[in-house]
Amino acid sequence: MSRRRDLHHGCRIGRAEFVRSVRGYTRDARRILGLAVAVLFFGGQLLVTLPAAYAAGQSVRTATAVPYLDPVAVILPVGLLALATLRTMERLGGVDAEELLLTTVHPRAVVIGLVLAELGRLALWLGLPIAALVVAFAAGLGAPTLPLTAGVLVLPLLACTAVCGYALGITGLRVLRRLPTFRRLLKGGAVVGFLGLFVLSQVAAHAFVERDVSVAALLEVVSVPALTEYLSLAFVGTPLDGGVSPAAVAVLAGLLAVTPIGLAAAERSADALWFGDDDRSQPSGSTAAAGSGEGFAPPRPFAWRRSGRIAWGHLLRAIRHPQELSHLLMLVFLAGPVLGSLASGNDGGALASILAGTGTAVGVYLAGATFGLNPLGDDRPHLPLLLLVETPTRTLLRGRVAAGLALGLPVAVLVPVATVAAGTPLPAALGYAALGLCLAPAAAGLALGLGCAYPIYEPRELWGTETVAPSTLVLLGYSFVVLGGTSIWLVLVPVGLGGPLSPLLLAGAGTLALLTALPSALSYRYALNRYRGYTR
Amino acid sequence: MPSTHSSDAPPAVEAIDLRKRYGDELAVDGVSLSLPSGTVYGFLGPNGAGKTTTMRLLTGLTRPTDGEARVCGTPVADRRGLVSQVGYLPETPPLYEEFSAREQLDYVADLRDIPPETADERIDAYLDRFELREDAAKRIGSYSKGMKRKTAFVQSVLHDPDVLFLDEPTSGLDPRAARRIRESITDFAADGTTVFLSTHILPVVEAVADTVGVLFEGRLVAEGPPADLTDRAAAGADSGTLEDAFLAVTGGDDPVEGGE
Repeated sequence: MSRRRDLHHGCRIGRAEFVRSVRGYTRDARRILGLAVAVLFFGGQLLVTLPAAYAAGQSVRTATAVPYLDPVAVILPVGLLALATLRTMERLGGVDAEELLLTTVHPRAVVIGLVLAELGRLALWLGLPIAALVVAFAAGLGAPTLPLTAGVLVLPLLACTAVCGYALGITGLRVLRRLPTFRRLLKGGAVVGFLGLFVLSQVAAHAFVERDVSVAALLEVVSVPALTEYLSLAFVGTPLDGGVSPAAVAVLAGLLAVTPIGLAAAERSADALWFGDDDRSQPSGSTAAAGSGEGFAPPRPFAWRRSGRIAWGHLLRAIRHPQELSHLLMLVFLAGPVLGSLASGNDGGALASILAGTGTAVGVYLAGATFGLNPLGDDRPHLPLLLLVETPTRTLLRGRVAAGLALGLPVAVLVPVATVAAGTPLPAALGYAALGLCLAPAAAGLALGLGCAYPIYEPRELWGTETVAPSTLVLLGYSFVVLGGTSIWLVLVPVGLGGPLSPLLLAGAGTLALLTALPSALSYRYALNRYRGYTR
Repeated sequence: MPSTHSSDAPPAVEAIDLRKRYGDELAVDGVSLSLPSGTVYGFLGPNGAGKTTTMRLLTGLTRPTDGEARVCGTPVADRRGLVSQVGYLPETPPLYEEFSAREQLDYVADLRDIPPETADERIDAYLDRFELREDAAKRIGSYSKGMKRKTAFVQSVLHDPDVLFLDEPTSGLDPRAARRIRESITDFAADGTTVFLSTHILPVVEAVADTVGVLFEGRLVAEGPPADLTDRAAAGADSGTLEDAFLAVTGGDDPVEGGE
């Protein structure tokens, strides 16, 4: 009786959470526009993949000939499990309006509801295109029952991976709560690890292409016959029907058996997490700011000027809540593929020079992107205070610029200089460092104007911290302008250092300098006016 | 309808030597309570005294480090038994901004297993009573603070709980709405519901509470009818108000005579 009741409540919670998500996606014109762009982009991919799936359906004669069936049979459950675990750790570990739900229904119902809502979201984002591919393949094969049998087979797999992933994610959150030092290390380590993985993946991709490594041969290694046979059950009643193997039935039975066990484990873990002690259980000293008894005392050189002290405040906040800088991961996606290509195609001194240039570009990028891309949104909680204090607006903005420079300049200058030891010629290293010195303030000024032009105010929770991330549009615009512009400068520096400067080169450099400085100055001016507009 | 109090019925709220420790910090230190049905208990204390922690312990949202608590005889650890007996309005209204008030209340009624017809009747009555009907179809995200608070109050009483825990229920409300809440509290108590009311607005407590408990640094330092506390305060001062009593028991190490 209580199980049926929990299931009913869970379904209701799942429906409500799903409706909330959908309403959130379409909350305003900006989100709808973003959604439309995503649908157009990914929908466009379907224009290619759907005919390919249809053609594949027409050509295959046996289940074993279905392209990538073996690796998909392994990657699908592993990927779903990993996705559920990560999503739980990132967002689903808690529930909105927790006091309401936990004093209204049993925790098991809340777990069921959260898992069902997540499955709904997954079906919306990934299920629809995958279903379209299956339908196209089935149409090519002439097997109208295939979408139905595939759906029936995927359901137990989805249920099992979702609840087990949820249990793993919740358990992970409990471990992190128990080990606060490990949690802090993980925050920093995760970013570095992610960065490394991404660059490695790019290098590996290039190795595949250049050294003629067969992806198909590699994927064949990732094969579990029992899982392939389970997935092949979808072909029952179609021209590819290979019968029902005992291994496939065993996998189905296993999935059905593990699902309630996973649910019970998820419920126990969630119960312990939700009703256990939160961060307040840490000794009060661990959350106290170092030196807080001495007041706000920035070190030199930040202490010299008021804008420096403001900059120190921004840096301190970033150190205490590094999640607020999550938008910087965009740099990894943008720079990773380029770095991967360059790293795999060069060696020795060339690689050192590439590293030097990369240091300059990253430093310049960080100078603006770290604190400048959403100043109004970032300042919103204390905007009334900032606008009512006697400190001039320009000092507030200079503080933000200084914070970005404090982070970006050392990278832009020291990395090229340090690569001299690895083989970068000294003049080139110094040239890159000087370039970083000039471009970093320009990037910081540009970022402020872009950020003020399209501020984002709505906070979202990420890894337990509320953060107001800049608009993706602003982030992309800034990234392309700054990384593109810096790349041109990086090419010009060795050319300029290599020989006599031709009038054409000088004219080009002059134009580029104007195109770099003018938008930056105008952008900074615009940001200043936007801030001042609040007090007029 | 909540069960009415009889002599052999268990106390509506009972806490025995309740303690809650967060690391080195003792948030609740040996609180013992026994509240009969149909009473309004005014729970006072300065900021950080442990009021919200105590309410979370009594509603089962937090596990005690030590001690026991029961609501109408049901241990607070028995969540399945507890949920039908308590209504809880926390200080931050637990609402979904993507829903309208009507959708929110329908949702909660469904989770509370209230039959649809009964739910509709109650929701309509409460929406009228708290002047929310005209805005009931609007998203809660567009509501004022007071409207959110009223909606959250309605959702906490929708299932006619035996014990109602209210954390600052009149905070942010205009005088008319605050009066409606006060009247509702006394009405619920008259119908047999026990109201556990935590607030800093002392006139509200004076107006509705049968018993007042004062929490200070996690300890219950004074308890009794408001008149008794004010009399004690008057004995040592020019005037005898609940504010005087509150300041006396929370202003130093020596609690008011007769306090716990």
